[in-house]
Parts: sequence; C-alpha cells; structure tokens
Amino acid sequence: MASSTTVDAHDRPRGLGRFLFSTNHKDIGTLYIIVALIGGLVGFLMSIAIRAELTHPGITIFPGLAQLLHGVDPAMALDAGKDLYNVFITVHGVIMIFFFVMPALIGGFANWFIPIMIGAPDMAFPRLNLVSLWLLVGSLVLAVLSLFVEGAPGMHGFSGGWTFYPPLSANLGSPGPAMDFVILALHLLGASSILGSINFIATIFNMRAPGMTLHKMPLFAWAILVTAFLLVITLPVLAGCITMLLTDRNFGTSFYDPAGGGDPLLFQHLFWFFGHPEVYILILPSFGIISHVVSTFSKKPVFGYLGMAYAMVAIGFIGSIVWAHHMFIVGMSLNAQRYFMFATMVVAVPTGIKIFSWIATMWGGSISFRAPMIWAMGFIFVFTMGGVTGVVLANASADRQLHETQYLVAHFHYTMSLGAVFAIFTAVYYWFPKMTGYLYNETLSKVHFALLFIGINLTFFPQHFLGLAGMPRRYIDYPDAFELWNVWSSIGAYISAVSVIIFFYVIIDAFVRRRAAGANPWGVGATTLEWTLSSPPPFHQFQTLPRITGSGHQ
Amino acid sequence: MSSDATQKQTRARRKAASFAVLGAAAMLALSFASAPLYRMFCAATGFGGKTQVAKVAPARMGERTLTVRFDANVARDLPWRFEPEVAKLTLRTGQTATVIYKVANLSDHETRGVAAYNVSPEQAGAYFDKLVCFCFQEQKLAARESAEWPVVFFLDPALESDAMMRRVEEVTLSYSFFAAKSAPPAASAAPTRTMSEAAEKPKS
Repeated sequence: MASSTTVDAHDRPRGLGRFLFSTNHKDIGTLYIIVALIGGLVGFLMSIAIRAELTHPGITIFPGLAQLLHGVDPAMALDAGKDLYNVFITVHGVIMIFFFVMPALIGGFANWFIPIMIGAPDMAFPRLNLVSLWLLVGSLVLAVLSLFVEGAPGMHGFSGGWTFYPPLSANLGSPGPAMDFVILALHLLGASSILGSINFIATIFNMRAPGMTLHKMPLFAWAILVTAFLLVITLPVLAGCITMLLTDRNFGTSFYDPAGGGDPLLFQHLFWFFGHPEVYILILPSFGIISHVVSTFSKKPVFGYLGMAYAMVAIGFIGSIVWAHHMFIVGMSLNAQRYFMFATMVVAVPTGIKIFSWIATMWGGSISFRAPMIWAMGFIFVFTMGGVTGVVLANASADRQLHETQYLVAHFHYTMSLGAVFAIFTAVYYWFPKMTGYLYNETLSKVHFALLFIGINLTFFPQHFLGLAGMPRRYIDYPDAFELWNVWSSIGAYISAVSVIIFFYVIIDAFVRRRAAGANPWGVGATTLEWTLSSPPPFHQFQTLPRITGSGHQ
Repeated sequence: MSSDATQKQTRARRKAASFAVLGAAAMLALSFASAPLYRMFCAATGFGGKTQVAKVAPARMGERTLTVRFDANVARDLPWRFEPEVAKLTLRTGQTATVIYKVANLSDHETRGVAAYNVSPEQAGAYFDKLVCFCFQEQKLAARESAEWPVVFFLDPALESDAMMRRVEEVTLSYSFFAAKSAPPAASAAPTRTMSEAAEKPKS
C-alpha cells in the first residue's frame, strides 16, 4: 500500500537534536514512553515502600526513610516518617496518573499509532506536539522539586492526598511552597494535555486517508478522539480550580475559605468535575487497544463495531455528569445523591456492551494465545472485577460505610492499576515488534503476565476484605486485627516487583538479540494500517496516501 | 498534493483546532463563573438551606406551628462571645418573630466578623424569610464593646403545600462568625463559644 522506500522531504535531525527538537510523531511518542517508563518506575517503587510499611502493624520503614531522604533529626523521625508516608501516597497517585498512564497511552502509543492507523503522514501540528512533550517534562521537574521544599509545617513535600482538598492544601494545612510547586506542575501538565488533545482532534477530523469515514476508523482512534474531547472539556476546569487555590494561598482571595464567604466544597465539585472524567481518560485508550488485540488474535473483526464506538462516546458523556458520587457524604441533598447514584450506575451499561462485545469477538474465533492476547484477556478479567465493585460503591447507602476505606483502594486499583496497566503492557507487547522491528521472548512475557496477574490480584483482592472490615486508607498504621490480609497484600506487591524485573529483562533481551520481526508478525488478524508498513515504520510514512476501499471498518 | 489542496487542509486543521481552543476557554470561564452562578441559584431556590430575604411581612397567617431553634458559633480566631437570647421559639407560619442575639468583643482592640449561615433541614431554606439580619453585612465591634442584634424573620405559609416539608416540625437556624479576612490579627484567641450546645441537645 505505502512504499517503504520513501524519500525524506527535509533533513531529519540526528543525535541529540533528534531527541530535543524532533517534530516526528514517532520520535515524540518514543520520548513520551520513556517519560512514562521513568514515571511508572518511580511510582511503583513508592508503592512498594507503602506496602512494606503496611505489611505489619507499627511504624517501621518511613522514619528511617525520612532520615535517609531529608536528613531529619532522629528525634523528629517518627513524625517526619508519618508525613513522608502521606507524601508518598500523594505522589504515587499523581505520578501514576499524570506521569505514567497518560504519557504512556495518550502521549506514547496514541502519538505513535493514531497517524499511522488513520493513514496520515504525521500529526496535524507536529511542532505543537513537541511543545506538549516538553511542557510535560517541565511539569515533572516541578512535581519532583515539590518533594524537597516545605509543605506541612516543618515537613518536606505536599502530603494532603492526590485530590488536594482544602483546607489540607490551603495555607491552613500546607503553608510551605510545596503545594505551590504542585499547582504549577498541574498547570503545565494541563496545558500540555490540552495542546496534545487539540492536536489529536485536528488530526483525526482532518487527516484520515481518502475513503476512511469516521465509521470506518479504527476503534483506537475513536477511543483517543473521545479521550481528547474529555480532556479539552474538563482540564480547563481543573486549571480554574487550582488557580483559585493558588490565589487563595498567595493573594488573599477566599474561594475556598468560609471565613471570607467561600466554600471548601466548591473545590471538591470543581476537582471532581475534572477528576471523574479523568478516570475515563485513563481507561478509554485502553478500551481501544484491547479491541484491536482481541480482534487480531481471534482473527475476526470486532463484534458490534458501531456499538463499541458509541459505547465509548456514551461512557465519555455520562462519565462527565456523575462527578459528585465522590462526595456522597459531604451533606448533599437526598435528591442530588439519588441522581448521582443512578447516573453512575448507568455507566455500567455501555461498559457492559464493551465487555460483552469483546467476549463475542472471541466467540467462534480462531484464537491464538500469543502474549498480547493473554494480556488483553487479563485486562478484561480485572477490569470487570473493578467495574463490579464500582457499581457497589455507586450506592450512596453502601458508600457511607465504604468511602475512604481500603475497599475503595481495591476498586480503583482494579480499574486503574490493573486495568490501565494491563492495557499498557498489552500495547507494549502488541506494538513492540512494529515500533522497534525486533521480536521479544514471548515465553518470558507470558511469565511476566503470570507473575503480575497473581501478584497484583494478591495485592488488591484482600484489600476488599480489609475495607469491608473497616480499615481506612491513607493511614500509616492499623490495629493488629487487620494484619493477616495486609501481609498477603504485601507479598502480592513483592511478586509484582519480580514481574517488573522480568519485564525490563524482556525488553533489554529483545534489543540485544535483534530478532527481525517483519512487517506483520501477527498474521491475518492484524488488519489495521500499521501492519502494512515495514517494522520499524519509515521515518515519514504514507508519502502516497493509502486509499480505503470496501465497506468494512478497520 | 497541489498547493491549493494543502492550503485547504491547513485551513481545515486550524478550524478544528480553534473550535477546541474555544471549548477549552469556555470551560475555564465556566469554572470561575460556577461560584457566583451557584450562589444565584441557591438564593433563587433556597437550595442547600439558603435562607430568603423578604421586604415585607406576609399578609396572611398559616395553619401550622413549627419550632425554630437557634444555633450560634464563633470561629477560633475571632475573640467574640455570640449567643441567642432564647434557644428556641415556637411560631405559626406567617407570623413574624424577632430573636435577639447578644454579642460581645472580648479583646482589647477592634475586631470585624462576617457570618456564614443557613437553615437545616435544607428544604426549609426556601420558606425561611428574613426581614432584618446582622448577617447581611460585615459587622464591626470596638474593643470590649457588646451589642444586641435582632433577627426578624417569618416562615412562609407556602411551606404547608410542600410535600418535602410535611414531616418537618423543627427548623434550626445556624450562624458561624468568622474573622473578616482583612481584619487585624486577633491577638488573644478566646475559647470557642457554642452556647447552643450547652443549652440544648443536638437535633437528632
């Protein structure tokens, strides 16, 4: 379809310049994935420290860690350790969301494959793409700096949780500059994501290959289109929300201060107006990836293509109007709780359509259990688990018992930590041969899957029990009665850690051995346009635009 | 691709991008507008227990009799004593009542405070009408000054036809005084006063 012997239209940057100034969507995608790898690794190490602390009752790890990281006086180490624990849970959340899952799925894989899948030579605004990347890096620098300046009085870093609720994040709870660093980091990050989303919207609407109508577009492109719209609509609200916090902290306004006629609940409403769509922003790209992988390895087109596409649109829309289910206990009127409860449950309908359509795609297919397929099936299992507990938590009455407990932690880790992360690994193992041109050791990647699947389920499934028994989240210590399941949970985390080592081995091994992948290592099921190109794809693809014929979708 | 087609492409991309920028800017504006918009919405509907402001007393008396309790709180950093003269009143709907709040500045310097207020249960907000209240503006007390502030209010007889109000026998009017933000810092923090706590059992 496209020739791989393309002639470069202009000079391509080489060496360091290629990393710093390249406007090529594949180079930028690779850099995004590198940022995500670093972010993910740091966030993961933090979670290991958290699980190590929670293995047994008593405060054991963090006082020493505080002395090590910040040189705290031993006499103050206990209090500093407690605060550091809360800094860790805060930063773990922020990093995993904004510097791991989003850069990996949206900045990384979407940048790499959206132009190729829709038959475009590059993104609509290549230089804007570069700006997005470096804004994200700047944001990461600010977020890291926040760890080393004062947050709560006498402590380092912001420790009020990733939701930044005032008064914890106001001058009352965190008078130091750490929170200001976090706010500015979020500003840069928001600008980066909005610019990136505008780029995707312009690309998908205007640069599809001739003959590729919206209803023939690959589902990953649909997923990114909906995600980009969600980001454009909700991120400005977060920007406004934290700007008000910034002026409250530094310029004497009182948006969130009741003393001046403000209301701390305003923050929660604005935050969750962004925050809830954000969880769909994290998971929708995963839906797109899983659809392609399931279809490829079942050697069948996706079951119910239009239903799949519009289910994502529906999830995006409903997901934007259910935010206050995070706030059932703030004293909302009964009618408001009723609305948010039922609207939240409605999200399960389009999500169910997607789950059943994946199963129907597999049904009667000629399934080959290659590594990406196994990861995708793992995703479907854990995401369904997380979805079911989500419906439980949607009940305003049950939420009174379960909010801010480990049950909630288990729920959102089943959807995010297991769901989104499994989708990321699915994408890595599905597209790695295309991106690098090398095959990886598939047996080891299946071992990686087995260990991570067991480890992560062992980590989070017992947290359901802990939460139902009443163990709250965000505390460094707990009563002895909760010890049993905490021990198992920590053992699970260590098993996951082993699987991460295997992952890095698989990647390094693939680069060392250089087994050529060929244009399409997955066979007849892989029908999207990226498999028509060489592996790795040429620096500029589709000098001659591919022409989409036939009535089928991609 | 001919240059004509390229130009058309560029225009189409810019159009899509400008619409997206416009959407983002609109949402940013809306986030700042949300607070005043919500305030207007609450004032208009009594949502969230927001009390109403009335100019004149109602023309007719209603049938039902309800109890109104008075709750008064002072933030920790405002050195005031602030309490209602009576803990509760029983009155008919449509009947205008006056309750006196006694307030004293316990410090040796001038202090200014502003009250946050609402009624509970929330659905009563739409029917709780104030004719006179100290809470409508910021208040100032000189050193050691004490004062008596009246609140003149009535319960709108229209509440009798609201199904949500049928089981409501008691309405609590609550005030919390905060130090006005531009006020000079209060030197000596007086103990927090919640006199109504001592005088009455909390509503179930």
